[in-house]
Amino acid sequence: MGRLETHELVIDVPGRADGAALTLAVEPGQVWGVLGPNGAGKTTLLHTLAGLRAPRSGEIRVDGRLLASLGRREVARRLGLVFQERHDGFPATVRETALIGRHPWLSPWQMEGADDLRLAEAALARLDVAHLADRLVSTLSGGERQRLAIATVLTQAPRLWLADEPTNHLDLHHQSAVMDLLAEQAAEGGSVLMCLHDLNLAARWCDHLLLLYPDGEACWGAAETMLVPSALERLYGQRLATAWVDGAPVFVPAR
Amino acid sequence: MMAASLLRHLTLALLPLAAAPALADERCAVDDRGREVCLAAPASRIAALSPGATELVFAAGAGERVVAVVAHSDYPPEAAEVASVGNHTRVDLEALLALEPDLVIGWVTGNPAEQLERLERLGLPVFQIEPRRIEEIAGAIERLAHLAGSEAVGKAEAARFRQGMAELARRHAESVPVSVFYQVWDSPLMTINDDHWIGEVVRLCGGVNVFADLDRLAPRIAEEAVLAADPEVILAGGMGEENRDWLDHWTRYPELTAVDRDNLFFVPPSLIQRPTPRLLEGSRLMCDALEVARGRR
Amino acid sequence: MAGAEPLRTPLSGLGWALPLGLLVLASLLALGLALAMGSVGVGLDELWSVVRGEGNALSRTLILELRLPRALSAFAVGGLLAVAGALMQVLLRNPLADPYVLGLSGGAAVGALAAMLAGLGGALMTGSAFAGAFLSTLLVFGLAHGTGSWTPSRLLLTGVVVAAGWGAVITLMLAVSPVERLPGMLYWLMGDLAHAGAPGAPLALLLVACLVALPLGRNLNVLARGPLQAAALGVAVRPLEWGIYLMASALTAMAVTTAGSIGFVGLVVPHMLRLVLGNDQRLILPACALAGGTLLVLADTLARTAIAPEQLPVGVITALLGVPTFLYLLYRSR
Repeated sequence: MGRLETHELVIDVPGRADGAALTLAVEPGQVWGVLGPNGAGKTTLLHTLAGLRAPRSGEIRVDGRLLASLGRREVARRLGLVFQERHDGFPATVRETALIGRHPWLSPWQMEGADDLRLAEAALARLDVAHLADRLVSTLSGGERQRLAIATVLTQAPRLWLADEPTNHLDLHHQSAVMDLLAEQAAEGGSVLMCLHDLNLAARWCDHLLLLYPDGEACWGAAETMLVPSALERLYGQRLATAWVDGAPVFVPAR
Repeated sequence: MMAASLLRHLTLALLPLAAAPALADERCAVDDRGREVCLAAPASRIAALSPGATELVFAAGAGERVVAVVAHSDYPPEAAEVASVGNHTRVDLEALLALEPDLVIGWVTGNPAEQLERLERLGLPVFQIEPRRIEEIAGAIERLAHLAGSEAVGKAEAARFRQGMAELARRHAESVPVSVFYQVWDSPLMTINDDHWIGEVVRLCGGVNVFADLDRLAPRIAEEAVLAADPEVILAGGMGEENRDWLDHWTRYPELTAVDRDNLFFVPPSLIQRPTPRLLEGSRLMCDALEVARGRR
Repeated sequence: MAGAEPLRTPLSGLGWALPLGLLVLASLLALGLALAMGSVGVGLDELWSVVRGEGNALSRTLILELRLPRALSAFAVGGLLAVAGALMQVLLRNPLADPYVLGLSGGAAVGALAAMLAGLGGALMTGSAFAGAFLSTLLVFGLAHGTGSWTPSRLLLTGVVVAAGWGAVITLMLAVSPVERLPGMLYWLMGDLAHAGAPGAPLALLLVACLVALPLGRNLNVLARGPLQAAALGVAVRPLEWGIYLMASALTAMAVTTAGSIGFVGLVVPHMLRLVLGNDQRLILPACALAGGTLLVLADTLARTAIAPEQLPVGVITALLGVPTFLYLLYRSR
């Protein structure tokens, strides 16, 4: 459970020639980070993996089955996506929004039950937004909304997490808390693939990395093999200075 | 013995006569949609659902039997005393029913078909009229009089109307033709063709409608068309019974024959735009106007 | 939202029963009022005896043949328009959407007026109006679908343009129609329950709509979060959106062919309910049916009694009632 594979996957970035074909496997227990500068296609990749966008070619398999052959609900039960951008729809409370995460598990005629409510409340508490349960989403700060989005996916309880810049808008304390949560998901047998723009978070928390270059090129593999200064400098077009803290590398833009 | 059997014979002989008045009371007539409407007895509580219908019912001599009219039923003056049940485009069915009419006179194109159907479904006889030609006016009066049992007055009125119109026709049968433009409305600018009863009146008075051959009964035209046709006489009504504004508008074109000879004549709309007996007065006014125009040649 | 929290917990059964119960009560009161009021006074005891099966002939006719079918039609049309409005607002994710925004009533009007021009009436005219509405739906559907990428704003723009197109056709038809047909055409365009058809079909459709709304409701809630978010949570977005569009079209077409274009109900009722009851469509849709029906029954009762025997078109009353109420609620909710 929680296994995601791609085979010769070429994502569709409008206006750009075909990029590299990605053949990788996200195994249960792994935490993958996707790194790249703005416009490299990280969000496009995530949406493609979630089945929201069609790739130009190649196939995606979730738990061994072709993504295209699974129904939307089936996909939603296995795979959850934390979006980077959020639309303000019609007004709703925080609790209602988190509860939406149970949708893939309920048949159309079922109402949300006590168990569902419990899951939602637990998720809200875990993300430290339980005290806002009755507030309207539109009144929340950016950081609170980000945590609510993650709580919604936690309520959805998929084995496979796709997260698009999950630490956006979060202060240091909550950043660590969220990364802890994701690591925990992986440790319990799920898997995580997240886009990060913070190189150092990736270095600290991810055991595998996928580097997406703006021209479409890509390389992936175990974190140690990817965290090579020359590769990273080419990725970001920025000279980096490396330091070591707690046995993990830290990269800082060089003057 | 003989007296008893004689009495019996007499009774038997007279029995059919006793039955006859009951049958003689039944009134039937065919309305302008071709449907026959039969009443068991002459109508005694009549509802007239348009100003034109009101005028015709009163002309037929059934005025005292009218229990309901609609807004703008302004002629004859007695009609103003009768209870109103709304507007001809939107009748208050409740108020109408509460007045318990036994005959409803509708206007074919004036009342909403759905409301008339609803009344029929509720069991009321609905007689729809709408005279379109001069002759149909007299016919409508006669049929209404028959339904209301007021034949004496109705037939006399119809006869008076027919004779009056025939007299006008006779008088002007040999008159010199005069080209005429009759203006129904000013914006949009509307006139009538020869199929309309006003067109008939124009012909009757020895006039020639410059727009006689247009396809539609009441076509909308452009001012240019009037200038191009250059009629000798312009006849118009106006907003209300005395407003000459529409005629005055044409004076800005002094090159028009009608303006040059001051052949701009006002005919009160209610006397000529309604298919009622007052058309006779309106026709007389129109024929007189054309005579004046002939005198100005 | 002061005072609204206890009602908005989705799981609280009581929280839904209360507003729906109140609305059912309001509906029954409105219907009762419609039966009791009219340009001819009918006493309450007389009304009661008619209900029991007795009463004099005139009262029976007034109440059972005139007021009852008209009130039921008003209820059905009001409910249909309000539900269609709520669906449109979710579909377009725009609280200003109403059932007519995608040109549907324009298409129905063109169908009806064309039938009138041709001299047809009754069932043929209704059929023509339906055909016009259906054609308009297909037109907007096809044009908006275009070459793939479909967004609510594209649908909205297409609909607005098509609506404007129909408006032009209607103006043309009014301009060239023979004078004697005009009153009938204008009458139809104004929206009026005086000539409403039998209430059976609209009521049936309203019931079907409410039943369909129940399983569809949560999907709509998720869709309201945004299409990508909804797809990620397992909602089949495109089919659902087209389904909502077709359903709203069917409801609106039935309402318009029954009573012409009555404005405001479809815009104001869902909006007012959302301000008070929150955004769970499973509650909002049935509430719209009840509240829309109630509003239109009250408005129609006023339209036929306010200046009796003159009869007003009900659209005038819905505007006069709807606008200040809505403004007041909007002000209160700040």
